[in-house]
Amino acid sequence: MATKRTMTLNLTDAEMSVVEDFSARKDMSKTAVMRQALRLYQLLEARVEKGDKLYVENEVTKDKAEIMMV
Amino acid sequence: MTTNALKVTLLDTATGEPREAELLSSITETQLTDVEGEWKPALYDRFREFKRAGKPPAAWPGAENRHWDWRQKVEMLQGLLSHDGYCLTCQGMTEGLMLIDTSSYRCRLPENEKRNLVYIDYVENAPWNRPELKQAPRYRGIGSILVGAAIERSIAEEFKGRIGLHALPQAEAFYSATCGMTDLGPDTAKQGLRYYEMTAAQAEAFIAKGKNR
Repeated sequence: MATKRTMTLNLTDAEMSVVEDFSARKDMSKTAVMRQALRLYQLLEARVEKGDKLYVENEVTKDKAEIMMV
Repeated sequence: MTTNALKVTLLDTATGEPREAELLSSITETQLTDVEGEWKPALYDRFREFKRAGKPPAAWPGAENRHWDWRQKVEMLQGLLSHDGYCLTCQGMTEGLMLIDTSSYRCRLPENEKRNLVYIDYVENAPWNRPELKQAPRYRGIGSILVGAAIERSIAEEFKGRIGLHALPQAEAFYSATCGMTDLGPDTAKQGLRYYEMTAAQAEAFIAKGKNR
């Protein structure tokens, strides 16, 4: 594994509550949740930078909705 | 991608002796050169022998992944935290490659539904290690070491060893029988390839089996 560095992350109560909720639901530490979030964010940004569009699809109705990345 | 070498052991089938190898968490230009300069000609040689034996090219067992372009795959994913490459080298030659995705896929087994896992995007042995090409493999143990690396990575990511993949038909028996993964059947979204998943308990059993060898 790569060398790890430490940083302090200042979050609002609402933001911390989301991190804690993910941590509990996914059975992962808050650090692992934030690491996953960063990976996904970078991946999506890279696709959008290339000119791709992001969609979510309802598995049942097959309705598609575009996610706007700003 | 980081480069940390881990000493592992392969079985040299010619001598029956163990052979020291290295597992690296990276795919570098050296590996891509090996694929282009050694793997592809070796695969072509096997194909030529197959054709000369009077067999129809459509029945060539190496056809399932002949379109894989490792250079293109590695270049596309360069710098992305969500993907990582692994390689297994022995005596200066690349013997196996694997690309994993740690972000985009979720578990499908009901007991772990929507939990994170490490998804094995691509895994390939050097042509001379592939028994399905109707030859005695030079080394054995490459697939197991690479699957083991994916499990270790899953544990490091706090995914408890959960992994998933879509298997080429030639590798289905390996994932179900050798790795003990659960077969969730053909996936129409992935050209009908069968999807296999490993739970935390199956991962633990796989690692324990490796230690008892």
